[in-house]
Amino acid sequence: MLAAVLFVYPVFGVLTLTVHDGTSFTAEPVRQIYTSQLSIIVLQRTFVTAATVTAICLVMGYPMAYFMAGLAPRKRVMATYLILLPFWISILIRTYTWIILLGREGVLNKALSALGLTGEPIQLLYTPVAVHVGMVQILLPIVVLTCLTSILDVERDLVKAARSLGATPRQAFWKVVFPLSVSGAATGGIICFILCLGFYVTPTLLGGRTSILIANLIDLQVHKTLKWDLAAVMASALLLATFACLLFYWGLTRKRSEFATGGLAR
Amino acid sequence: MTRIVLAVYFAIVTGFLLLPLIFLVPISLTDSQFLEFPPTSLSLRWYREFFTDQSWLDATLVSLKIGIGATILSLLFGTLAAIALVRADFRAKGVLTALFIAPLIIPSVVLALALYIVFLRWRLVNNIYALTLAHALIAMPYVVMIVAGSLRRFDMTIERAARILGAGPARAFVHTALPFLTPAMFASAILAFFASFDELIITLFISGGLQTLPVRIWNDLSLKLDPTVPAVAVMLTLVSIIGMSIGEIVRRRNELRYQTHSVPEA
Repeated sequence: MLAAVLFVYPVFGVLTLTVHDGTSFTAEPVRQIYTSQLSIIVLQRTFVTAATVTAICLVMGYPMAYFMAGLAPRKRVMATYLILLPFWISILIRTYTWIILLGREGVLNKALSALGLTGEPIQLLYTPVAVHVGMVQILLPIVVLTCLTSILDVERDLVKAARSLGATPRQAFWKVVFPLSVSGAATGGIICFILCLGFYVTPTLLGGRTSILIANLIDLQVHKTLKWDLAAVMASALLLATFACLLFYWGLTRKRSEFATGGLAR
Repeated sequence: MTRIVLAVYFAIVTGFLLLPLIFLVPISLTDSQFLEFPPTSLSLRWYREFFTDQSWLDATLVSLKIGIGATILSLLFGTLAAIALVRADFRAKGVLTALFIAPLIIPSVVLALALYIVFLRWRLVNNIYALTLAHALIAMPYVVMIVAGSLRRFDMTIERAARILGAGPARAFVHTALPFLTPAMFASAILAFFASFDELIITLFISGGLQTLPVRIWNDLSLKLDPTVPAVAVMLTLVSIIGMSIGEIVRRRNELRYQTHSVPEA
């Protein structure tokens, strides 16, 4: 009941607000989004940022997970806790640290000038780079852990079989472990992508005015320009994108479990 | 060879993930008016500042009240939901499960906007009870997932034995399954509490003038870099790491205890 009243009803309300202005049905807000340069740019930026951050997380995270999969169980648990430790710190605080590290008078700039590498402090904060660094730091643990699960799911015997049939470790990895774990890693990527779409704190604090994402635009439209219908359209677009990713995710996991039981039945 | 490269890589990336922790602690111990790293002289000045500043204490109190309220609510409703989802057999189970997990997945800015619109209509903005309800909503997925996961592992023969010995359904559940679930409930309560304690976006939208601790930090960040914030951040981090560790230890110990007592599966 609580979920119904506090979740379904409001979310449904937002969805209807996009096509209904209180008295009659209208397509006006949706049309405004289509014609608004700002919304298009921000929407585009949100998806590009999400895709880039996801790609970085996957490329950085997979080798991490592969290393962890090769550890003895006890050590692996320790490594997992190490990865999870930053996960328990609030996102606000983790983002805040990047302000201290990347600012003009920040730790990184001081270190660079102390080493004589830069004369002037370089602009790191309030750039897209800062947003990417902050988001990767927050999302990487999730990707590493999903990659780890999918690598551990790969049957050890298959690697042994490949090795006994003459494959080098490198070949065994690229022909057996990687193909069998890549779809599991992809599901981690989808989760990461979905979470990226809704990021609010990090782009606000690290991105400055030129790299706001969709969540910031919704906030602006509600609190500054008071264009609620536009905010509702953006929120609905965000929601639909999330659902699309989820459907894709379910398709992928279903196929994977069929493959695991059907294709690799012992 | 490859292993060594991977180990070095793992160490570097883990360092990147732990960067906030590594820098925040020394910065919070500075004696100066400004944030500096490394601090020139050490003191607990900014920790003292926190405990003597009424606005920080008020914000903490508001967060605590909401957090405790949200934990109780989400634990109550979440546990009931988990029992229903695991035990009952009905058609819409899949949809309902998805619905209970949904607040965790959909972007919080969408939920924030949706709740804001509804709460404005119901005149519930700037109301601590409404805020507590909203926090309970976002904390509930953790309870549902963890308690349901634990309940699935419960050995039903024990409960059936109680029924055969004459206990009614409710009594049998309370005396057999409930003790088994208690540690999971405890662990999920801790997670729920911190989910509420960390929540920022929804609070920013619907809190009106109420300041929770994250909102207080947020407001501070947009004005200046106040050295009190790192001190608050370190304390918060310590509290959440300790809290989560206790929850995890309790959950694990319970699992081990029941593992050794339950009949091995055929």
